[in-house]
Amino acid sequence: MAKKELQPSLKTSHIPAGTSWIGYNLSRMKSQRQLMWMSFPFIAFIAIFAYGPLWGWLMAFQNYRPGIGFMEQDWVGLDHFRTLFTDPTFLRVIRNTLAMSLISLFLGFVGSIGLALLLNELRMILFKRVVQTVSYLPHFLSWIIVTGIVANVLSTETGIVNVLLTKLGLIDAPINFFAEPKYFWGIVGLSSMWKEIGWGTIIYLAAMASINPSLYEAASIDGAGRFRKMFNVTLPSIKPTIIILLIINVGNVLNAGFEIQYLLGNGLVQDVSETIDIFVLKYGINLGNYSLATAAGIFKSVVSLVLIFIANGIAKSLGEERLI
Amino acid sequence: MMKKDVRKRIKYSALLALILVIALTGCTPGSSSKGEKTADGRELKQFSAFFAVPGKIAPDDNRVLKAIEEKTGVRVTMDWLTGQTAKERIGVLIAGGEYPDFIDGSDGTQQLVAAGALVPLEDYIDKYPNIKNYLGEDWKKMKNTTDGHIYFIPQFGNIQEKSMKVSHDGEAFWIQKAVLEWDNYPTIKTLDQYFDLIERYKTAHPTVDGQPTIGFEIISYDWRYFALENPPLFMAGYPNEGAAIVDKETLTAKNYNTIPEAKAYFKKINEVYHQGLVDNETFTANYDQYISKISTGRVLGMVDQGWQFLDAEASLVKQKLYDKTYVPLSITLSEDVKGRYQNNPILNVNGGLAITKSCEDIEGALQYINDLLDPEMEVLRTWGQEGVDYQVDDKGVFSRNEEQRANSKDPDWVLANTGSPLVYFPHHEGMTADGKNALDPKEQPEEYLATLNDIDKKVLKAYGFTKFTDFLEPAEENEPWFPIYTYNFEPNKPETIARQKMDDVKRKWLPKVIMTSPAEFDKAWEEYQATLKESADIKAYEDALTEEVRRRMELWG
Repeated sequence: MAKKELQPSLKTSHIPAGTSWIGYNLSRMKSQRQLMWMSFPFIAFIAIFAYGPLWGWLMAFQNYRPGIGFMEQDWVGLDHFRTLFTDPTFLRVIRNTLAMSLISLFLGFVGSIGLALLLNELRMILFKRVVQTVSYLPHFLSWIIVTGIVANVLSTETGIVNVLLTKLGLIDAPINFFAEPKYFWGIVGLSSMWKEIGWGTIIYLAAMASINPSLYEAASIDGAGRFRKMFNVTLPSIKPTIIILLIINVGNVLNAGFEIQYLLGNGLVQDVSETIDIFVLKYGINLGNYSLATAAGIFKSVVSLVLIFIANGIAKSLGEERLI
Repeated sequence: MMKKDVRKRIKYSALLALILVIALTGCTPGSSSKGEKTADGRELKQFSAFFAVPGKIAPDDNRVLKAIEEKTGVRVTMDWLTGQTAKERIGVLIAGGEYPDFIDGSDGTQQLVAAGALVPLEDYIDKYPNIKNYLGEDWKKMKNTTDGHIYFIPQFGNIQEKSMKVSHDGEAFWIQKAVLEWDNYPTIKTLDQYFDLIERYKTAHPTVDGQPTIGFEIISYDWRYFALENPPLFMAGYPNEGAAIVDKETLTAKNYNTIPEAKAYFKKINEVYHQGLVDNETFTANYDQYISKISTGRVLGMVDQGWQFLDAEASLVKQKLYDKTYVPLSITLSEDVKGRYQNNPILNVNGGLAITKSCEDIEGALQYINDLLDPEMEVLRTWGQEGVDYQVDDKGVFSRNEEQRANSKDPDWVLANTGSPLVYFPHHEGMTADGKNALDPKEQPEEYLATLNDIDKKVLKAYGFTKFTDFLEPAEENEPWFPIYTYNFEPNKPETIARQKMDDVKRKWLPKVIMTSPAEFDKAWEEYQATLKESADIKAYEDALTEEVRRRMELWG
């Protein structure tokens, strides 16, 4: 656990006697100047592209019209936020976003870690490579292609799922999966799992590769079998990775996506398929109401930030590795 | 050691700076050679143009464009939309504040107007006889509703002499030629007759090429769902106003989702849905699936805009399944209601070609538009060069030979040789100025006949028609406000939000009332109507459109 000692500068006890806190830190900055210079481009990048555009948030408090001077816009205060939170559609899309995001998060984690564990046990390198490649290839497909595949697979006429289910006698008539709201979240979850599972395993496999083999040897000597080793050596060793990724992903919970729901959705399932992003597109961008879109964006950012801090706090209180 | 490092650093910095300079200047607009001359020694004027629609950039040596360049002394560098929506790209342009000289903002036109990017044209136009003549009476329709300026010149729908339209690309109920032939070419007028015919044919032909026959399709994917929601207005005998129906007597706009015809129409669709005539995937299929189903030739009919399934028809023609292509029908609820599926082309006053404030030579730009509207130049733009692309007989009638026809069907050849990219500059449609020829070669009667196959000829002969638009009632005079869908819905207005809300409700409820069991239909319909009234401010919507109708009556009527 040497990592926790990496920030000695914060502890006053480390300042040598006779030097001030400022003087001590300046001399440390000098000795680390190369590192500081190296970080400068990234700080500039973040400042320009991440913090700079934040002034655009002011749009949410105006009836923004493009091309007109900033101060000439009419200011409307919290009107757009009020519109959002009194609109039943908006409350529904928050629910959908959260639900689909959590389903995808859960399936993504369980799927990726499970696949990584299984791949890690394989000793046949060729087979492992093939499985890995095949499973991460869908990551490179765009959603428009993936949704096309999904639509074909689930089609009532030629879709393999319906053909199989009918042939096996499990159903009498083909199911029209996209006409029933109850299937939609599942379809979205499984589709994103299929698309991202292989990509997700890469990082876990890397983490597993760095596990000290002597731990496995020791476990073997203690009489542990394959599954024991998986649960008592591999999983605990990649726990820090899992937690960091979980914290990062929790911040993305309100970004459940746009493309997949937009491309697979239709009128019949719109009550469960529309996410915040689709709402923003329909009621913000399409109607030329950029202010409403910005207000929804602010809402998303604030909630995401709060979620990250909560997750981080939980990780801290459990004494786990954390992001901030 | 240190010194060497510094030198190295300078060397690399200089190299980097050089690369940057080259990269940046390479991107600067207008950096192309200035001071080029035309063949007769005039200064060649350079303009840039951007059209917010997908398109291909014609090669520099495009033959017809070169010829036009020689005549006008103007070269236009044209750019098109790639991979973005018009609104996105226009937004980027506005943010940058630099515009091409000519612009057609398409969906983003209102954004450009709001941002003050366009040059008001009304004070210039008097100096350009061709433009003035081109705009004619429509002049007054062009004024911006808020500030009274004229910002753009529409390019489409300006008919010279008379419309030469040969095919219907608007909305209609379509039916396969094979179905008509099988039933010995009946005359189909009403919804009941239409579905009766489909049912009889489907019973007689349960499969097509081994796959089950599909009776009827309604595409409802994404923004393409208008054919699901708007048939009630045709059923009631109104033209395709889009947003609402307008009462001629009282000049009031009415939302057509609540009229009795709407209920009658959807009740019939509900009935035929449960008879298995409507594809059960019709509300969930995406556009690709829709097109591929039609392309198999097993879809007997659909209600749709003709341009939506052009790809499918092209595929059917390619497979030589000529009898599986479609004929438009004018369907209403009863025989005494006259269908108004065809309308006279209308000048689309929602947008057009504009000149931006970045243009340094506004008069030169307008002169170019004026030159392009010259009768001779218009023929050059559409037919091409005489003797190369077409022949003229001693009566002045144009024609093409087989090779010229084949060339004009090859998109690569067209891009490299003809003036087709100039279609986004103002141009007439219909006939040439002398009234002898169609401006569009495809609409020239002899050329049109030459493209017909045997099945087409047989069907036309059976009905005694000369072209497929004859299946629909001829267009009536457009009402002065027509079409009301060109009303500019402004952001943040109750009517704009109401329209979106109505859309949301319709998208969910129309499939629902169609799929619900026939016994429950009345109940479902009540529920749908109640939801519609509850979630959308229909009154605000109707009032805004009514006001627009009256405003247009006053200004244009």
